[in-house]
Amino acid sequence: MRTRDPISESKRASGKEEEPGSHGIWSGTISFSLVAIPVQLVKAVDTGRVSFRMLHNKDYSPLQRRMLCPEEDTIVPPEEIIRGYQTGPEKYIVVTDEELESVSPERSRTIEIIEFIDIKEVDSVYYDHPYYLVPSKGGERAYHLLVEVMRRTNKAGLAKFVLGEREYLVAVKSVEGALSLVTLHYSEEILPTEDIIPEEVKIEADEKRRIKEGINKMRADFDPEKYADLRRNKILALLKKKSREKVLVEAPEIEEVEGKGPADLIAALEESMRKVKSR
Amino acid sequence: MSRKIIEIAGKRLTLSNLETDLYPSYGFTKAHILEYYRRISKFILPHLKDRALTLKRYPEGVEKEFFFEKRCPSHRPAWVPTARILRHGEEPMTVCLVNDLETLIWVANLASLELHVPLARAGSPETPDSMVFDLDPGDGADILDCTRVALILRDLLANMALTSYVKTSGKKGLHVYVPVNHKETTFEDTKGFSKAVAEIMQKSYPELVTSKMAKEYRKKKVFINWSQNDSSKTMICVYSMRAREKPVVSVPMEWKELEKLAEKADPERMQITHSEAISRTEAKGDLFQDVITKEQRLPHL
Repeated sequence: MRTRDPISESKRASGKEEEPGSHGIWSGTISFSLVAIPVQLVKAVDTGRVSFRMLHNKDYSPLQRRMLCPEEDTIVPPEEIIRGYQTGPEKYIVVTDEELESVSPERSRTIEIIEFIDIKEVDSVYYDHPYYLVPSKGGERAYHLLVEVMRRTNKAGLAKFVLGEREYLVAVKSVEGALSLVTLHYSEEILPTEDIIPEEVKIEADEKRRIKEGINKMRADFDPEKYADLRRNKILALLKKKSREKVLVEAPEIEEVEGKGPADLIAALEESMRKVKSR
Repeated sequence: MSRKIIEIAGKRLTLSNLETDLYPSYGFTKAHILEYYRRISKFILPHLKDRALTLKRYPEGVEKEFFFEKRCPSHRPAWVPTARILRHGEEPMTVCLVNDLETLIWVANLASLELHVPLARAGSPETPDSMVFDLDPGDGADILDCTRVALILRDLLANMALTSYVKTSGKKGLHVYVPVNHKETTFEDTKGFSKAVAEIMQKSYPELVTSKMAKEYRKKKVFINWSQNDSSKTMICVYSMRAREKPVVSVPMEWKELEKLAEKADPERMQITHSEAISRTEAKGDLFQDVITKEQRLPHL
């Protein structure tokens, strides 16, 4: 059996064969007016969150989540689970899969740019999740052309884009020779600010000057490499140390309940096996 | 890029990149693959019919990357038959049904060398029409060990009045099929039954067989993968090509032929390539025909 570094790989350990779409999250074309460029959408960030499995402290078995009905105190199988939108205490509106399906956007294979905007106008509060678009086969030339032109004009394309079950508003811009795509929040998701922005007060010119000087003294270029998630690094160091010390625990092999077939079947199989072996 | 427009049954189809060498170390191009599927179509089509196809595409050949496609590509011609699959907790999905020659050729033209299908038809996705034992040799075991296991399985099942059929996987293993074709049989039945069989095989031949998935149990043994009996799983379709160094095919075998090959102890003889697959199938007919027609009930359930 292949041994692997349980720390660096645990998150990315995958099955034996890749499932569809593991190279990109989505593939299709990005288009505007008469241009259509085949592209793939790939992740731009990986939060690198260290995740843990919940284990049973007695035998280290990994635990599973089940849906419990408190009323009957039984585990509810998936086919008995439906969705309800809560409208009040003990009051729900039941919504079916079909109803949700009927309001979901049609899957689409295109990111259609509808406007070109100045990205500086988009406040960071609108930024949701960053991705990159990479050219698919045959699209390289047009892709680079678009990257270059967008860089020069300093514009970002605003587009609508269906991913999964939702339609997103996205901004596509040129970043270091590639196209980046950021999903944006819709304006109705942005919380109102009236209540949190304090009322204006009168400020002395002298005070203003002092604060300004203070800021100037601390001015720097943005260098994200200077900062790191210290807790994460410490957790990883801890895990590395523990794995070197071989303090790994082992979960029991999940013993598929053996001989749990119908008694008749087991008896019949044993009988025919006896015949096979006696020949 | 070469293109060729053909017409089958009045439907137009554009074939592309016919000269691409998809099996480079053997010299087997897209054109050869299309020709293989055209000639085998009469035999493979009944086994693909009305099943949700999973395409396994090798656009740059068997030595390069492949990808699975469960959804029927949206750029399909309008005449490609499809079905909508609804599975609990998943998005509904449109799948291709390879019910005719033109669709088969269209699919093959997508460099979908391997055609994988479920054990149930799209119209009744929870009703398997056969039970399967996927015999997979672990490290240190080979197809001859699988042959031994398959022959014991055949006898064991025969003692329970069940007829079984065998095909090569086209890789290192064998697939034993027990036709059911009975609308009251569920995957729960076939899974429970096959698991009980796998367990008694392991108990009776502990040196040869394991019923456990974990790699460490599989060394020098044949893993009887009973868990393929599931509505979410697919098997390589009989007569499908496999993406290996050579254009090898998953072909049915007669049991007596398998017995002879077991005596000869030559694993290479069990790798059937495209031309041999065509000549033997044309001579013998479809040895897997009963798998989709023969009605059998699993006893004692």
